Amino acid sequence: MTSDIAQLRQHAQEEASRFPALLARADQLAGTVLLGEHGRRRAGLGDDFWQYRPLRPGDTWRSIDWRRSGRGDEQFVREREWQIAQSVQLWVDGGASLRFASDRNLPSKADRARLVALAAAILLVRGGERVGLTGWALPPRNGDVQILRLAEALAEEGEADYSAPEARGMIPHARAIFVSDFLGDLDPIEAALTKAADRGVRGVLLQVLDPAEENFPFAGRTIFQSVGGTIAHETLKAGDLREKYLARLADRKARLDHLSRLTGWHYLCHHTNDSAQNALLWIWRAMDGGHG
Amino acid sequence: MTLLGPLGFTAPWLLLGLLVLPVLWVILRAVPPAPIRRLFPGVVLLLGLRDEDQVTDRTPWWLLLLRMLAVAAVIVGLAGPVLNPEEDGQVAGSGPLLVVMDASWASARDWRAEQMALESLLARAERESRPVALLRLTAPEPVQFQQAAVLRARLTGLRPEPWQPDEPQIATALDLLPESGFDSYWMSDGLDRDSRAPLLAALEQRGDLTVFESPRSLYALHPARFEEGHVRLTARRLRAGPETEVQILGHGLDPAGNPAVLVRAPLTFAGDATEAELDLSLPAELRARITRFEVEGARSAGAVTLPDDSLRRREVALIAGSENREGLELLSPLHYLHRALEADADILEGALSDVLPANPDVIVLADVATLSPAEAQGVTDWLDQGGTLLRFAGPRLAGSDVSRETEDPLMPVRLRAGGRSVGGAMSWGEPKTLAPFPEDSPFAGLAIPEDVTVTSQVMAQPDPTLASRVIAQLTDGTPLVTRKRVGQGQVVLVHVTANAEWSTLPLSGLFVQMLERLAISAMPATPAPEDLAGTVWQPVRVLDAFGAVGDAGTLPGVAGEDLLAAALGPDLRPGLYQGEDRSLARNVVTQETVLEPMMWPDSVPVEGLSRPQETPLSGWLLALAIALLLADVVASLALSGRLRGARAAMVLLLALAVAPVQGRAQETAADDFARAATAEVTLAHVLTGDARLDEVAGAGLRGLTQTLFFRTSVEPAEPMGVDLERDELAFFPLLYWPVTPSQPQPSAEAYAKLNEYLRSGGMILFDTRDADVAGFGAASPEGRKLRELAAPLDIPPLEPVPQDHVLTRTFYLLQDFPGRYNSRDVWVEAAPPDAELIEGMPFRNLNDNVTPVVIGGNDWASAWAVEENGAPMVRIGSGFAGERQREIAYRFGVNLVMHVLTGNYKSDQVHVPALLDRLGQ
Repeated sequence: MTSDIAQLRQHAQEEASRFPALLARADQLAGTVLLGEHGRRRAGLGDDFWQYRPLRPGDTWRSIDWRRSGRGDEQFVREREWQIAQSVQLWVDGGASLRFASDRNLPSKADRARLVALAAAILLVRGGERVGLTGWALPPRNGDVQILRLAEALAEEGEADYSAPEARGMIPHARAIFVSDFLGDLDPIEAALTKAADRGVRGVLLQVLDPAEENFPFAGRTIFQSVGGTIAHETLKAGDLREKYLARLADRKARLDHLSRLTGWHYLCHHTNDSAQNALLWIWRAMDGGHG
Repeated sequence: MTLLGPLGFTAPWLLLGLLVLPVLWVILRAVPPAPIRRLFPGVVLLLGLRDEDQVTDRTPWWLLLLRMLAVAAVIVGLAGPVLNPEEDGQVAGSGPLLVVMDASWASARDWRAEQMALESLLARAERESRPVALLRLTAPEPVQFQQAAVLRARLTGLRPEPWQPDEPQIATALDLLPESGFDSYWMSDGLDRDSRAPLLAALEQRGDLTVFESPRSLYALHPARFEEGHVRLTARRLRAGPETEVQILGHGLDPAGNPAVLVRAPLTFAGDATEAELDLSLPAELRARITRFEVEGARSAGAVTLPDDSLRRREVALIAGSENREGLELLSPLHYLHRALEADADILEGALSDVLPANPDVIVLADVATLSPAEAQGVTDWLDQGGTLLRFAGPRLAGSDVSRETEDPLMPVRLRAGGRSVGGAMSWGEPKTLAPFPEDSPFAGLAIPEDVTVTSQVMAQPDPTLASRVIAQLTDGTPLVTRKRVGQGQVVLVHVTANAEWSTLPLSGLFVQMLERLAISAMPATPAPEDLAGTVWQPVRVLDAFGAVGDAGTLPGVAGEDLLAAALGPDLRPGLYQGEDRSLARNVVTQETVLEPMMWPDSVPVEGLSRPQETPLSGWLLALAIALLLADVVASLALSGRLRGARAAMVLLLALAVAPVQGRAQETAADDFARAATAEVTLAHVLTGDARLDEVAGAGLRGLTQTLFFRTSVEPAEPMGVDLERDELAFFPLLYWPVTPSQPQPSAEAYAKLNEYLRSGGMILFDTRDADVAGFGAASPEGRKLRELAAPLDIPPLEPVPQDHVLTRTFYLLQDFPGRYNSRDVWVEAAPPDAELIEGMPFRNLNDNVTPVVIGGNDWASAWAVEENGAPMVRIGSGFAGERQREIAYRFGVNLVMHVLTGNYKSDQVHVPALLDRLGQ
């Protein structure tokens, strides 16, 4: 029993030691965005009040702010646009296929995916949104503690080579961020997106790819293996496969793009050798555009 | 051994392995390269893709070829290929083998090749168990057939001799030849000689004869001649050929006394010419210094010629007592001397005081009676250093009082007043003729012409020494030429005039010969053998066969007639011989030497040494195979995409880039040090490695620096510690060197630096810091260490500081030099022995420069030392007396630095009263 506890504690410490780094990096990344574009504009967002506007036809009487309207002849409506926070649900692929980096100097795809997702989460929480994971594991909440919970949840790694998004528990009209390499089977993704669209959930698809996956710089006789080791493919002339591989990859991207358009989502392909900030900015804009 | 053209194989059967190559080709083609396993998440996208080429991915043909070549190289390499293998047929046979070598100076040019040929010959003889004997014709020794292995061991000691085998040696060799039953192998030097014929016949009669001969050209240099103001060099070559240029080098001592190439000039053999000439126009000074000419790279005694005195023109100063007899040239006292000397000597004219600094070889005084005391002194000094003073008599000398009562130092004899005349109109006697020259006279052997008569002469006083000084006399026994040695030089008096007034001697050829014998004019290049009869010449330097000049050592002298006429041999080696007054060179190649290539009869097979050498190739081929396999590794890696070329190149570039950065860093450090040390006057102490001691020394110098700054116009910068091994010392006027028994001995380089420092005016203050327990000397460990440390230093004799040493008064007036201890044992450079107290002067005029070391044990640094805040670091003595001692210590420091910086300035103050006096105050 004691050993179990000790082990648990040790694991917890190991895990915890990872978070600050990820959190710090994510925080830093999020900080650049806040300062860069939206920092001033968002000040005071936490208040209930946003603005008074004149009564327009169609507004219910209940919505009139009588205290303000009593000072004059006109009726004003107290706008409470931000009072109901959006729920944003994240899905970050925990599959083994993301634990891959073609070069020692590049971060692994999983690393990048977590970083971008967490940074987006921080931004959103600071913007007053509620952020959680898809499924029932971590429902959307706000507050800094939620970020810690998110970081913990994101650190979990799946065993399977390729994993499918958890489409259950989608909150209607919420927002979603799906981060994966989208190299596995596309059907579950399509199903998830369709289901989300049915519930009025919109969001972004961020595809994180390694440059090697984009360029296929291989030649000679090669046995390709998936990271989990479940799939292998042997070729005698890897160089000859390049064209076909690239064509298939392009097909896949096109399909994702098409799918996202159909369902009102946004799609971006991000490479690990690019700056993470690009991806974050893009996510922010895509989400922000949704608010507009 | 199997032969394929010039290629042989020791294991030819292995070559069959080459047949496997085609099989290997097929196999290698069929086997695809090993697959690489790669992690690749995108593998999903690859599933179901098929390779277009269903046949395996083949190794590219060029890679296959590379591998084939590597394998082929291994097979051929193991088969033991040998380029130009020794053929068995060359000296085939059995029974004893006699190797005859000319081993002359001409063989030296290819001696190495000859030795190698001999080596392989002996190796084969060893394999065939043939007994071998060696016969060097230049130094024949009894022929002894023995095992080749024994001879091989002796091979490296074999040397050619700097002469050639002539009749006597050949005769000896013929006597030494066994009767019959051997084959011969003659290593010839390629020169035709009459003496070859009998030996050739004898060898052919006794067995098979093979000749080895080098086809390389042989150069010979004839002795240098001096003609028409040029040094003329003639070179020959053995065989006419295309136009060739060789370099002629003139070796000698440069003005600093080091051997150097003084002259280098190209000499061109025209096409089809065997002879070429080179005229060198050299200044007399340079000419006199040349000790040998050689053909560059010829490596043979024949290509070296030693010039003797024949190249050296003597400088003769002619001075006459009465010059102003215009128009009467034939009566001029110098006319005949001019005519006799101008061909071979450089003549100087002018006042005696003007020509003396030119240091002529000979000064001729024609009828000069008295010399001023200064001139006489100058001439005497010059004579001491080996000059020859030749005086001629004349009316003025006869009429003067020179050397009348006592012998003048510049006259060989005393003279009787007036001289005498014989055979004139007013006298009775006949004109006198010359008596034959005595044996021990330098003129011995010269023929006396009938018509040389003497009518007047100055007469020598009969002194006890007279007989030994006469070197030529008249028939009546009166001296004609007398000579005495002065120092290394000589004074010669000719008792008649230098013109034809008193005798007909100057008109005769004898006059010129006598001048030559007196070594006054240069002699002809080759004196006749009979001229040298009876003389003995000592070898000074001798040539070996390779043309290297060596010391003659204890070689015996050579008779003069042999020196010129006899053939070179063990008893007469080529080289430079020193006679009584001059040197003669005996060169290998003389003016008469003619080089003719030897024409061997058709019956004798002749082989050239230029036959390519046996070269085993296996090593090269195996190396090639390894190189090919390495290339294969790189190529395979590149093909399979595993080569990270960029990364490897980067590592290499980094490694290259790091090295120079370090070097630059060191340089900057040295520069910074120099800048810090030279911005201001800086005192320095030697770092001993003892941290506490170094700290005290630094603090001591800081205290002294502050004292200097406050009290004097010397404003030094912060003192520095100096690492003797690393730092430059030249920047510091004063080095304070505390001695501990434990400090390491500086390296030889550091000592060289220290000596340079002392010589260039630096000063080291050695402090043994033990004056409280030890008197100065070796009693204490520090004292012993000091002796060890200072032994390699260039330190002059020392003495305790004398009362009037300049250190006692450079700034303060001091008599004690205390530090922490007050001992009087402080040593400085000793005063010169001739320093003496001048009347009326308070001080002696001592050394003219700074004493390079001051040695003592008073622990000055402790007395000087101050903390950063200026408080004294070490307590001195007790109470006021201690502070007084510290003050005196500072004063000593100030005096010391002043002494270093101003030198003997205070010493020179001694002269101030005299100077003021002279200024009229």
